[in-house]
Amino acid sequence: MGARNNMPAWRGPNYSRRDFLVRSGLVGAGALSLPALLAACGGGSTANTTPGGSNTLFFENWPGYMDDKTVGLFMKETGIDMKYTEAFNDNNEYFAKIQPALSKGDKIAPDMIAPTFWMASRLIQLGWVQKLDHASIPNFVNLRDDLKDPSWDKGNVYNLPYQTGIAGIAYNQKVTGRELKSVEDLFDPAFKGKIGVLTEMRDTIGLLLMAEGKDITKVSTFDQASSAFDRLEKAKADGQIRSFTGNDYIDDLAAGNFAACVGWSGDVLQLGKDNPDVKFIVPEEGGTSWYDTMVWVKGSENGDSVSKWMNFLYEPANAARLTSFVQYMSPVKGVREELVKLGGNSAALAENPLLFPDDATIKKLQTWGALSETEEAKFDERFASIAGA
Amino acid sequence: MTAAHDKKQKWGRGVINGVAAATMLYLFAPIVVIVVFSFNNPKGKFNIVWNGFTLKNWAHPFSQPELTDALVVSLKVAFISTLIATLLGTCIALALSRYKFKGSGAVNLFLVLPLTSPEVVLGSSLATLFLSRGVSFGMVTVIIAHVMFQVSFVAVTLRARIRGFDWSLEQAALDLGASPRRAFWKVTFPLILPGILAAALLSFALSIDDFIITFFNAGSLVTFPLQIFGASRVAIPAQINVLATMLLMGSISIMVGGLIIESRRNRLNNGSEAKG
Amino acid sequence: MSKPTKRFASRPEWVGLGVMVLLAVGVVALAAEWVTGATAIGLLAVLIVAVVAIIWTAIMGGLETRRALAPYGLLKPGILWLSLFFLAPLWAMFEMSLSSKKSRFDFFPKFSWDWSNYGKALTDFAPQFERSFIYAAIATLLTLIIGYPLAYVIAFRGGKYRTTLLGLVAVPFFTSYLIRTLAWQNLLADSGPFVSILKTVKLENVMEWLHIMDNGRLINTPAAVIGGLTYNFLPFMILPIYVSLEKIDVRLVDASMDLYTTATGAFRRVVLPLSMPGIFAGSLLVFIPAAGDFVNAKFLGSPETTMIGSSIQDQFLVQLNYPLAAAMSFVLMAVITASVLIYAKFMGTEDLA
Repeated sequence: MGARNNMPAWRGPNYSRRDFLVRSGLVGAGALSLPALLAACGGGSTANTTPGGSNTLFFENWPGYMDDKTVGLFMKETGIDMKYTEAFNDNNEYFAKIQPALSKGDKIAPDMIAPTFWMASRLIQLGWVQKLDHASIPNFVNLRDDLKDPSWDKGNVYNLPYQTGIAGIAYNQKVTGRELKSVEDLFDPAFKGKIGVLTEMRDTIGLLLMAEGKDITKVSTFDQASSAFDRLEKAKADGQIRSFTGNDYIDDLAAGNFAACVGWSGDVLQLGKDNPDVKFIVPEEGGTSWYDTMVWVKGSENGDSVSKWMNFLYEPANAARLTSFVQYMSPVKGVREELVKLGGNSAALAENPLLFPDDATIKKLQTWGALSETEEAKFDERFASIAGA
Repeated sequence: MTAAHDKKQKWGRGVINGVAAATMLYLFAPIVVIVVFSFNNPKGKFNIVWNGFTLKNWAHPFSQPELTDALVVSLKVAFISTLIATLLGTCIALALSRYKFKGSGAVNLFLVLPLTSPEVVLGSSLATLFLSRGVSFGMVTVIIAHVMFQVSFVAVTLRARIRGFDWSLEQAALDLGASPRRAFWKVTFPLILPGILAAALLSFALSIDDFIITFFNAGSLVTFPLQIFGASRVAIPAQINVLATMLLMGSISIMVGGLIIESRRNRLNNGSEAKG
Repeated sequence: MSKPTKRFASRPEWVGLGVMVLLAVGVVALAAEWVTGATAIGLLAVLIVAVVAIIWTAIMGGLETRRALAPYGLLKPGILWLSLFFLAPLWAMFEMSLSSKKSRFDFFPKFSWDWSNYGKALTDFAPQFERSFIYAAIATLLTLIIGYPLAYVIAFRGGKYRTTLLGLVAVPFFTSYLIRTLAWQNLLADSGPFVSILKTVKLENVMEWLHIMDNGRLINTPAAVIGGLTYNFLPFMILPIYVSLEKIDVRLVDASMDLYTTATGAFRRVVLPLSMPGIFAGSLLVFIPAAGDFVNAKFLGSPETTMIGSSIQDQFLVQLNYPLAAAMSFVLMAVITASVLIYAKFMGTEDLA
């Protein structure tokens, strides 16, 4: 195999796929028309790319996050050919999925994706998203004031919120046999082995920190949060916590496997239709509020369509239709009035305190501030080791 | 043998039969759940709690476009990769079973290695190669990955099937003046074709169902198992159960068809043997 | 050209083998970048010349030469595919396992003889490794215990329904692996059928004592994960055992019954030894995928039951720590390959089909 003079470097952007395929594929082809060559020739980014031209739009969103009318109405109104998929399952996993292409400067298939605010902040830092054209999004004025100008994106240059929600405590009253009020209820020995927490680190740790009376908007180093990690680890070791879940906590809650867990407001509202025993509360110590954003991915040439979509969605009537389906809090002003106009079940939502929290609840909600790259790494590593992945 | 002894033996027989029957039940328990829940009528998006019988999922099995798209992707991948793998694997199996040659032991071992490596290792190592050489993930990488484990599978199963093949038939054709090519296509190939088809079908099923290796190499491509994995965290529409039941029925009917053909052939063979 | 052709033709099988090995190694060398730049082009040229030479030999040589070269010709495409997409990736992974990242979002780790990845893999993830091997071993044992009787009954008492019964064993595995495992989630849920049956017949305490149940639940316990592994890999045990039992001549069993007078004696001294190859093959075919699995641990387990497969997946696809994931994969691969090689040494590779 010969001596190697220089160590092979893990190649960066200067190295193309082609080199690899030409070298390896040709050998194969020369040997006996290896079908590798066929496969290689058909190669390229086989990710479902939308057809060219600026009159298209590809939006990749979280699952269960869109009603069945909005996309059609948008296409009809604007004549844009929109592709909508729901493969955004997890911030970290999605990041891992798009990283190979974006770090090389290649395009990914979607024009617009829906990262949670902290992931949006990371994408902005890495330069993987493009500036929005505010001039063609007049409905930007409808953005709720409390969501404007986050510290990591002053002036909302890169992001517009898609939906916002609360992380609090979800519980199955049939199993608990009582109403829950506090984060401390998660540590009630009576519920041993029937407690779930979210793999979304900020929501789980956030609640625990707030239970200690800390202000999570000001937590910026790992040391400030380590006590919550210790408590979590102990609860896991004691068998108090049954599992770390993503959206699938819903299954466990409905099946009665969980007595209580850290959960998201909208999910529980949706599940409530099926199972009235499942309830959601903002604990008295406070809950975290989060939001998912819409960002325009680097390399996409469909900026016009992105602006049109955002403008469309920030029309209160359209936002209200979405809200009545996903049942999360809308970032758009005027949705409540539109819900009342829709009547029926939608009008009832206008009175729902989880969608339109009263001032007392709003005071209990906090949103995480930005974490530096090194601090975030410490948070994630410790959390991953506790979650046992 | 004494009567008591006989009794004891019968009893032992009963126990073993009972254990075997229980194992069969165990094998089918989750299948029952899958089929039953395809008739569930969930109120929300979660097909978890039994909420009454309905036929509407079966009336609209393709009403979940994402699920249907994913199934189509899986079928496409399985079709292409099985085609390539069957071609390559059959060549290897022929070489191994028909010829004695230097290095066949090493080739045997080499073939078995991909089958005896954990999927997570196969998937992550292939993904590492693709990542470090800047290959974009997508359908091509998934097909490459599937062919990789299917080649070994086809070669090994086919080799086992044609181990007892009588190569003198081909020799006879050659002696009678057929060209080697003609001898192969007219004599050998038709005889080993059922084996090839069986290996291809099984490897097709492997491809359709592969999750772990695909998970590492799919990029943004969504195959049926990946779609189910994604859905399992959010909402499990009853259509998943419907499509799964359909796949199940499809493969059962292929299998039953195969069984009928085989038994018919056996009967024919037995018949001719009896006559001769 | 006739002289070299003759020389080739005198030992065509060596030429065939040589060229095949050269191609396999060459392809791996190119894909793994052992050679780069001009050297790579040179190597490519050598490979092409070798291929041309062997085709030339086959065309010019007589029937004998062609016959001797035929197996290598048939093997080459498949071997090349496996070299390129099985061997080269293993090398790439080995190299990655010795690389280090400059910062968290450095996506192109540099090769640097960084053995610390292995240290981390073996210390931080020791519990996961341990769990994987223990769970896989228990699952293997369980599949043997419940799979053997079924294989035995089908092989010896199946009569004309043998094939049908064998088909039935395979049927459940034509539904998706994930869906099957999700169905177990339904069955084992706290409000599911299994728990309520156990509660009705008051067996909870026995189950708790056996550590199958934990705090009144079946799901999210080690037992659930092992149960899932056992279920999902059961046919890999049944089929090889069936194949080895099927080969046994029933007259041999009858004769041994006369000899040893009891059925157990006959079984222990004749049937069991003859089915050993099937048991060994089945054990490997169950143990290996079970040790690397993460689906069962994910759907049926808890944070206390994660296996090494989930850790590798998490490090690779979530934490983006490719070097650490590669080191963990490599350790797993090494342990399993070592056991396969030991197996192959004693049993051969024939029975793994």
